[in-house]
Formats: sequence, C-alpha cells, structure tokens
Amino acid sequence: MTAILHVNGITKRYGGLTAVNKVSFEVAKGEILSVIGPNGAGKSTLFKLISSFVPATEGEVLFGGERISDRAPHKVARLGVVRTFQETTIFRSMTVRDNIIVAHHLRSKASLLGFFAGSRQARADEEAFGASADDIIAFLCLDAIRDELASNLPQGHLRALGMAIGLATQPTVLLLDEPFAGMNHDETMKMVANVRRLRDERGVTVLLVEHDMPAVMKISDRIVVINFGEKIAEGTPAEIQSNPRVIEAYLGSEDAAIGM
Amino acid sequence: MTTKNLLGLGTFLITVFVLVPVGISVSGRWDFYYTLTSVALLSIGAAGVWLTFYIGRINIGQGAYALIGGYVSAVLVVKADVSFWLTLPLAGLFCTTVSVLIGLPILRLRGVYFAMVTLVLTEVTRLSALALPVTNGAKGITSIPLPGELSILGLTIIPDFATMQNPKLAFYLLAAFLMVVSYAVLWRIVNSRLGHLCRSLQQNEELAASIGVNVAYLRVLAYGISSFYGGIAGAVFVAISQSIYPSSFVVTDSVNFMLYCFLGGLGYVSGPMLGTLLLYFGWNLLSVAKEYQLLVYASVMIALMLAVPNGVLSLFDRKGDRK
Amino acid sequence: MEQILANGLYLGAQYALIALGLTLIFSLMNVLNFAHGQMYVFGGFVTYTVVAQFGLPFVVGLLLSGAILAVIGALIEKFLFRPVIRKSKREESTMLLAAGVAFFLDAVILLAFGEKQRGIPKIVDGVMNLNFRLIMPYDRIMVAVLAVAAIIGFILYMQYSKPGRAMRALAQDRVAAQLMGVDVDRYSMLGFAFGAMLAGVVGGLLVAITGVNLGMGGPTSIKAFMMIMIGGAGVISGAIAGGFILGMMESVGLSVLAAYGNITYLVIFASLLIFLAIRPQGLMGKPWG
Repeated sequence: MTAILHVNGITKRYGGLTAVNKVSFEVAKGEILSVIGPNGAGKSTLFKLISSFVPATEGEVLFGGERISDRAPHKVARLGVVRTFQETTIFRSMTVRDNIIVAHHLRSKASLLGFFAGSRQARADEEAFGASADDIIAFLCLDAIRDELASNLPQGHLRALGMAIGLATQPTVLLLDEPFAGMNHDETMKMVANVRRLRDERGVTVLLVEHDMPAVMKISDRIVVINFGEKIAEGTPAEIQSNPRVIEAYLGSEDAAIGM
Repeated sequence: MTTKNLLGLGTFLITVFVLVPVGISVSGRWDFYYTLTSVALLSIGAAGVWLTFYIGRINIGQGAYALIGGYVSAVLVVKADVSFWLTLPLAGLFCTTVSVLIGLPILRLRGVYFAMVTLVLTEVTRLSALALPVTNGAKGITSIPLPGELSILGLTIIPDFATMQNPKLAFYLLAAFLMVVSYAVLWRIVNSRLGHLCRSLQQNEELAASIGVNVAYLRVLAYGISSFYGGIAGAVFVAISQSIYPSSFVVTDSVNFMLYCFLGGLGYVSGPMLGTLLLYFGWNLLSVAKEYQLLVYASVMIALMLAVPNGVLSLFDRKGDRK
Repeated sequence: MEQILANGLYLGAQYALIALGLTLIFSLMNVLNFAHGQMYVFGGFVTYTVVAQFGLPFVVGLLLSGAILAVIGALIEKFLFRPVIRKSKREESTMLLAAGVAFFLDAVILLAFGEKQRGIPKIVDGVMNLNFRLIMPYDRIMVAVLAVAAIIGFILYMQYSKPGRAMRALAQDRVAAQLMGVDVDRYSMLGFAFGAMLAGVVGGLLVAITGVNLGMGGPTSIKAFMMIMIGGAGVISGAIAGGFILGMMESVGLSVLAAYGNITYLVIFASLLIFLAIRPQGLMGKPWG
C-alpha cells in the first residue's frame, strides 16, 4: 500500500483558538478514507487545510512527496487534488451540462486566446469536453437533469453535480466535503454506490469528511476520527466502531452517534 | 450564429453605418452626429464596466481610465508629436498597465469594498491631473490637432481630419467602427471559454479555483480589458473636443458608466450599448426641464429603483435569451 | 512640525465625524451612502442660511443643520432604502439608489442655494500664536474642539444609551438583534438619521471656516470612503482612526510634498492600495471572506 497523500502534523490556529492541532495521517492510493468527528471538531478546517484553501499555521500536506500546503488552490487542483464543496456552491445560472463542461478547464490544451480566436485546438477541446461531460453525466446517472439549470436542482442532485464537477477535472485525489449532507436514505445509498464506482472504475482516491455515520461505515476503507481538533483514532470501520475513545467522544457530544 | 442573429446584426450595421448618416444628411440635424458619437464612445466605456460586472465586481472607476486614456493621447500628440492613430492603442495599453497595477492588490476585494476603491480612483485621477506637471493642471491641454492621416505603406486608409469637409461624420464613423469592434470582441469573449470562466468567477470564485481556474489572473485580465476600453473611449473623446481638462471625466461619469450597464442589463452583451443610448438621449431630452433637469433625472432614477430594484431588464429575465 | 500636527488634528477631527456617520449607516444597513458628501454640503447651506440670511446665532444654525439633516436621513431611509433593500436581490441596487439620492440632493442644493461658494462671517476673531511655531486661528480651534466633543458624545451615546446599544447590536448581527427584540426598522431609521445628522453638523461647522459649495459633495463622500477603508468599514473605532489618519496624511502631504506639486492624494491612494493589499479589512475591521 503506497501512500499518495501525507498529512504531517498540520495545525491551524485562529488567534488564540486552535481549530486543528497536529493532525497526521496518510491516504493510500486507491483507498476511500473518511474523516469523522462530532460537530465543531475541526473537520471542515482540516478539509480546507488539505485542499490548501486556508494556509496552515504549522505542518504540511504532501501529495506524491510534493508539498502542496501554501500553494494557491488552483495550483493544488492542477496537481490533481480536487475538492468539492459542502455548501451547495455550483455555477447556478448554468445548466448541469455547462457546469460540467466549464469544470473541464484544467484539461484544456488551448490557451484562452486560442479559445477567443476559435483555434482548431480550442474547437477540439470544446468537443472533447462536451463528450467527456456526457460521459460523466452517464456515469453518475444524471441524464434526466442534464439541461436543467443548476439553480432549479434539489439538494441531492446538487451534490451529485458537485461530484461531477470534481470528476471533470480528472482528479487523482478527490476530496468530498460532506457529500451526504441533506440527503435522504435513497439518495445517500445512490451516492455511496457512486463514490465506490468512482474508486473501482476510475481509480480515484477519495478522502471525505462526513457526518452521516452509517454511510461512512459502509463506504470507508479506513476512518480517521478527530475531536477538538486532534486525531483520536484511526482504523477500519470495525476498529473505529469498537474504539472506546470514539464512543466517548460521540456520547459526549449532542448529536450522539447515529447508528453506532 | 443563427439566421435570426445574423439578420439582427446586419440590420444593426446598416442602421449604424448607412441609415443614420443618410437620415442626418436628409434632415440636416448635424448636431445628432455629436450626440451619437458620444453615445458610441460612452458605450465602449460601458462595455468595459460590463465586463468587470461579468466577473462579479462593481466598477465605478471607468471615468478614471477614460481620463487617463485621454491624457495619454493628448500628451503624446501635443508634446511628442505622435500620430493620433498610434496614441489610440497606446492610451488603451497604458490604462491596462495602470489597471493591472491597481487590480493585483485590489481585485481581491469584493462587493462594496471594490466599488469604493474604484470610485476613489476616479477622484484621485482627477486630483493627480490637477497636480502633475505633465497634464498642465487645471488649464488642461487645449488646441490639440485633429487626427492626421493614417496610411500604411503609403496607402491612405484614413485621410487627415483637418482637410475633411465633414469631420463630424468622420468622427461618427470612427466611433461607430470602434464600438462595433469593441462589442464584437466582447461578444466573442463572453461566448468563448473565457466568458464561461468569467461567469464562473462571478458566481463562485472558490469553486472556480477548485477546478483549477487561476482566479487572480483571470480577474486582472478582465479588468485590464475593461480599462483598455475606457482608455480608448477617452482618447477619441479628446480628439473630438480637441481639449482635455482634469474635470473632463469625473465621479459622475464613472457612476453613469455603471448606470448604463444597469439600465441595459447585466445579462446581455448588448445591454450597455442600449443603456447608454437610452440614458444619454433621456438626459438630453430632459434639457427641456431647464434648471430642473438634474432633479427630474435623479427622481426618475430613484423611482426606477423603487419600481424595479433588480434592474430594468430583470423584467425580461424570463425570456433568458442570451445574445 | 507642531504646525503640521495641529493642522492634521484639526482636519482629522472633522473627517472622523464625517466618517462616523458614514460607517454607522454602513454597519446598520450595509448601504454605502454615496450621498454623504451631499448631506454634508446641505448641512453647510442650512447653517449659512440661518446665520447669514436670518442673522441668527451660529449655534442655532448648527442645531438646525443637524435637525434638518436628521429628518432628511430618516425620510430617505424609510421611503427609499427600506423598500429597496426589502425587494432587491443584489447589493448593487442600494448603491444605485444611493447614487440617485446623491444626484437628487445635488439638484435640490442647486435649486435651493445656487452654485456659489457660501460662507459666514468669522464667529471668533483672533489667532493663537505660539512663537510662530504654531499658528492657529481661534475659530479653527473652536471647530476642532466642537468636533472632538461631538465624537465623544457619539461614542458615549452608542455605548451607554438604550438606542445606542440597540444600534450596536443591530450592526453586529441583524438577525440576532431581531431575535433579542430589537425593532430593526426603527433603529435602522434612527441610525440613518443619526448618520445624516453628523454629516449635517460637520457641514455647519465648516461653513464657518472655509465655506461650502455645490461641488464639494462628491469629493467629500470619496474622502469619507477612504477613511472607512483605512479604518475598516462599519467599525466605529475604525472610522475615527481613519479620519485622523487621513487628516494627518493630508496635512503632512501638503507640507512635505508641496515641492513636487500637489500629489498628496496620489501618494495617499498609492499607500492605500498597498495597505489594502496587506490588510483588506482595514485597521480595525474584522476579517471577512
């Protein structure tokens, strides 16, 4: 098992408050790893640290041995570490298909000037992106909504679209921020299946931050648990479920361990 | 482009380049040339403002670039004896350079904050024009010669304006030509990948960054193009009036550029052109109100905001037909 | 040196008072009041009319400036900004409305008071002269003292009075304030009136020194924007700091940079750009996304 992503003692302080404290773990190539923790445990901050959307106070994140902390988010994305968003942040006034096409930006070979002038490469790119978008739409079973405006979509579809956008960049590692939030049981199960297929069929390594315990237990190869900004456990779903520190952390919090 | 669009474009071009000149020479209302030339030039500036709106920034600083562009052209023509035709692109490029320097730190700001900086820029530009030796202070630069001959390899493309029988018509054609080119470029930007990316910035910069868009670069690029438009418009204005003063473009002009965009609608490339036409003519029509002109104008503006707070073209939003 | 500092403090006190009104309105309603400079000019003309035309004492003029502007502010909030904010989806709308109000006030000033520069006779004669190292006319000192007194009064009011506390709660978090039982509409209106009143009072003070004219409105608004950008928009301490900093920079600039032509504002703007690049939220502002 080769690690593709190393998180080394990453720390984030806001003024006097330590949101994430010396968290370290590794993500192996082709695995699905979940980060869980009670509300306010620092999951979201950790997620933003890994995707380099906020700068780390200390520590670093390595991708394939290369340091990606302190790099601009778009450069991290270019390297192949791509995040989705927890909030339903999609290009709202575009259709589902246009959203996905725009998301192919990383793969464009033609320059912006080329696109402006309509060069041959640009036209080839556009065609390829369109085909690829259709492919992704089929892969995630979004055919029914492909020409729908994103602003008209219900929660569940927005998440799927968020994933489709991430997928369009052909990521090596896809970071999913609470992909199951706001979904009902059926939608969650569909999403779980999609994430698994993503890994199985496309070889994408998945790191996700999530609240929904049953889904996490079902989907993950390994789980990292954080509480009060610190890592308190790491292991397979079975190990995590029987870990006394984890149970304690969840019982001590308000949203006590759903399904544990 | 569909047949319908082509027809529309054809009608528009014929109107601008044939029907208007013919109509004016028939009716003898030569003063309309000045009005329409102004509309064409202002709408170039407004197109720039529109592009900054397109990346989600409220730009109330276009007056500054018009003033800078005007001064660049005037100074080069008068002091360095450069041909006007060369100063035109130089004015634009100079404005782009300035906007890049300003944009790099400032485009990180959003909403009201960015708007404030751009507004301040307009006033600071005016004050600088008053103070700097090269701009000749409040006295401004006057008696600027009309544009000379433009020739390439000995072939005269545009004759010397000073020898023309009808420079008004020539200026009108020049402004209209520049306007058509500017809007064609804008249309192409918006309908190419660049436009999609700009739109993605407008809606969500973080998401755009997460799919690998170099957000900072794109913002500066759009702002640079926008300022180029402002500079060009200013330079031609100066050539027409043959003079420029620090008060040639002030805060009110910057606000007006923004208004043109709003009135015309932010969702349509042709919006700023329409907005400029309506507002400029509206303002001129209001001159019958004499000293109450500004009062009526402001009242109408306030009433419009009360009636349709999301912009006039929001009334047509349902059609959603993006040109 | 002393002279520059004194000039800076004198300018800063007035500026801070203008910025306070602007920042108050901004913090309460997220409205950038383009018409702030026009309100200030309007206040100046009211005092001018009361003192020079009707021959009433300066204090009466000042009080009337404040009162009339407060009423204007309240009306503008109630009948213009409130409905637009309620219906509009974009923040540009309030900006356009504010621009419309600025034009409108300009038009009203033009019709009511004309285009001429107006001033009133000196209220206090004499000049303070400390060995020629520091020369300051008494009327300027008086204006500065009054401005500082108004600033202190403002702070005390915001800190200790019930409406003041309600407005601060509103500025901090509109929704939370509403839940706490603060009457949002009422205090928004009060805040707008209060901000406009401050602008009017400064106008009244200034008419006694430099006079006012129609064209001063826009540039004054812009100076006020600079101040709140320096200090941090929507923060009271920031407005005061911004006002004094700008006053000081202007004073220093006018004496130090005079040799290079009047490029003070170019330099200030360049510094502002650099400053905002490092600290986009201003000196005292909270970081924002």
